[in-house]
Amino acid sequence: MADIAVLLKQVPDSNAKIVVSGGRLDEGSVNKWSMSPYDEYALEAALALGGSITAITCGPERAKKMLTDAAAVGVTELMHIVVDDLTTLDSNQVSSILTAAVQKTGATVVFCGKQAADTNAGSIGPSVAEKLGAACVTMVSELSGDSSGFLALRPSANGMERVAVSAPCVLAFDKMSTELRRPNVKGIMMAKKKTIEAMSVSDLGVDIGSSSVTLDNQSPPAEKPAGQKFEGAESVASVVSKLRDEAKVI
Amino acid sequence: MAYEALDFFDVDALLSEEELMVRDMVRDWVDEKVIPNIEQHYLDGTFPREWIQDLGEMGILGMVIPEEYGCAGMSYTAYGVVCRELERGDSGLRSFASVQGSLSMHPIHKFGTEEQKQKYLPRMATGELIGCFGLTEPDYGSNPGGMITKAEDKGEHYLLNGAKMWITNGTICDLAIVWAKLDGEIRGFIVEMGDEGFTAPEQKGKHSLRASVTSELVFQDCKIPKDRLLPEAKGLSGPFSCLNRARFGIAWGSIGSAQACFDAAKKYSLERIQFNRPIAAFQLIQMKLATMLREITKGQLLAYHLGLKVDQDDWIPEFVSLAKMNNVDIALDIARVARDIHGANGVTSEYPIMRHMNNLESVKTYEGTHDIHNLILARHITGIQSFTRNLK
Ligand SMILES: Cc1cc2nc3c(=O)[nH]c(=O)nc-3n(C[C@H](O)[C@H](O)[C@H](O)COP(=O)(O)OP(=O)(O)OC[C@H]3O[C@@H](n4cnc5c(N)ncnc54)[C@H](O)[C@@H]3O)c2cc1C
Repeated sequence: MADIAVLLKQVPDSNAKIVVSGGRLDEGSVNKWSMSPYDEYALEAALALGGSITAITCGPERAKKMLTDAAAVGVTELMHIVVDDLTTLDSNQVSSILTAAVQKTGATVVFCGKQAADTNAGSIGPSVAEKLGAACVTMVSELSGDSSGFLALRPSANGMERVAVSAPCVLAFDKMSTELRRPNVKGIMMAKKKTIEAMSVSDLGVDIGSSSVTLDNQSPPAEKPAGQKFEGAESVASVVSKLRDEAKVI
Repeated sequence: MAYEALDFFDVDALLSEEELMVRDMVRDWVDEKVIPNIEQHYLDGTFPREWIQDLGEMGILGMVIPEEYGCAGMSYTAYGVVCRELERGDSGLRSFASVQGSLSMHPIHKFGTEEQKQKYLPRMATGELIGCFGLTEPDYGSNPGGMITKAEDKGEHYLLNGAKMWITNGTICDLAIVWAKLDGEIRGFIVEMGDEGFTAPEQKGKHSLRASVTSELVFQDCKIPKDRLLPEAKGLSGPFSCLNRARFGIAWGSIGSAQACFDAAKKYSLERIQFNRPIAAFQLIQMKLATMLREITKGQLLAYHLGLKVDQDDWIPEFVSLAKMNNVDIALDIARVARDIHGANGVTSEYPIMRHMNNLESVKTYEGTHDIHNLILARHITGIQSFTRNLK
């Protein structure tokens, strides 16, 4: 099995309360940070294949915790590119950093989530593939593989398709039907002993230029209007017209 | 709505990184596997096998025992945190872990032979073998020293006769740690399910700890091979050594129940509208919530400090008595007040409250009743024991 690099991003937990103040997410108010859910599937897929895995993250100091979590479920190598504020970088810069990190590990196979749960941009997988000159398969929901390559299931225009791909390649994962592995106490004790290889962008020796995107303003999603209740046969006509004209679902 | 664990003084910030990881592992598992199913198990009076397997896979059964026996060798504080997170789900679940780790694996590790340790501990750590602890008898609860279960040395084997009652995990056990008098002295025996003359019928009809198996253990001319005696345990100090460890877990665990009740009461009181205002806006409710927060915070500090003392091996059993007694007491009070805040909803299985409240009634009684822990503390203060009228 080829060495696999898994790209992981730490995001606010899906249950965490999000507070926006002054047009920016207030990071201090996030009480729990977690591995982005699609990245968890990428990691699970890599662990299921076995072999040497390097988990790579680009982010602030707090992201170390996520790498230790990855070690607790069996990741062997941990790499942290320390960037204090990811929001100052655009996706293109981040993918340049991650590409350089992957090259440093020597891995020819890269797994990542199809998008991160905070920005939902979905550009890292394809962009890293482009920079590595590797094949890219996105929205993978099932995977099998051996030393000669992988067979990945992904959506196609009229259903699902199975794509065969071999290294060098980047696979971007969707939710899969496999259950994610849980850490255990022994894994946690081992993880504590693992060292995290930490470095800065300049240590990587990559020129990422300047950001071409400026973040103007962040705002919470609009509140959902209150639900409406209908009772009795006489309301059928109004329900149908609301479903057709307002909700536009029939 | 997602569980928010009250930690007003940020006491968990004092935990090590690995203790925090263990906390999150168990908390996530409880959210995923226990919370959606516990009410039904409670109503049905069942404890699912699948949970036992998961506890084994997570590596938290007997987690303080060293690695050479297939365990994790973690701190007592970590064990306390695990108990707290399990009991946030249900006291029956925490009881399972206490009985397996502190009451069954601990005596084998502390008082057993090397062969006994190798034979049982690794398979108990994975949950493949389930243990139980038989001390209480129908006529001897708070006063276990009076037990009548008796073992006789028959040369080739021991012969066990007597009965135990209220034994957690009894019916589902593979092995029982049974305390019995041999020549008038209390000794510990490993009785295996399948040993001739040993039966363990389930006790039904509990209004408390319904998602936990409670049983009688009956020994009728039960033959025990000689190598199943725990050689190093002699007298009541044997079972008490186990109980102190389980009580330690309860001191932490009961805080989990209290946190669950507080979380539910806070959310409910903010949503429930009466007299055109959320009930949380009324001063009477506010005082109840403030009292809960106050008591939970104190209980957390007590549990944390106890963990520190035990991990430094600088403790006396009276510390554990104080913490068990106080934390179960406040948890029970908090559960009752939370029940009240939930009004009629509080008596249903839609909310976790009444389940926790009923569970805590057992938790108050087992592992030394509240009264008995007061007597233990008072003996420490005065030097006078008042368990019996025989004031010697
Ligand atoms: C659900 C459940 C699970 C259990 N699991 C186990 C188990 O796994 N293994 C096991 O061995 N046991 C188990 N027990 C038994 C438990 O430990 C006993 O119930 C407990 O020790 C109290 O004994 P008792 O019920 O006989 O009450 P009693 O000892 O009869 O006490 C009745 C009341 O009298 C009070 N009292 C007694 N003596 C004194 C005194 N000297 N001074 C003042 N007040 C006194 C008590 O505090 C209590 O209020 C379990 C009990 C329950 C309910």
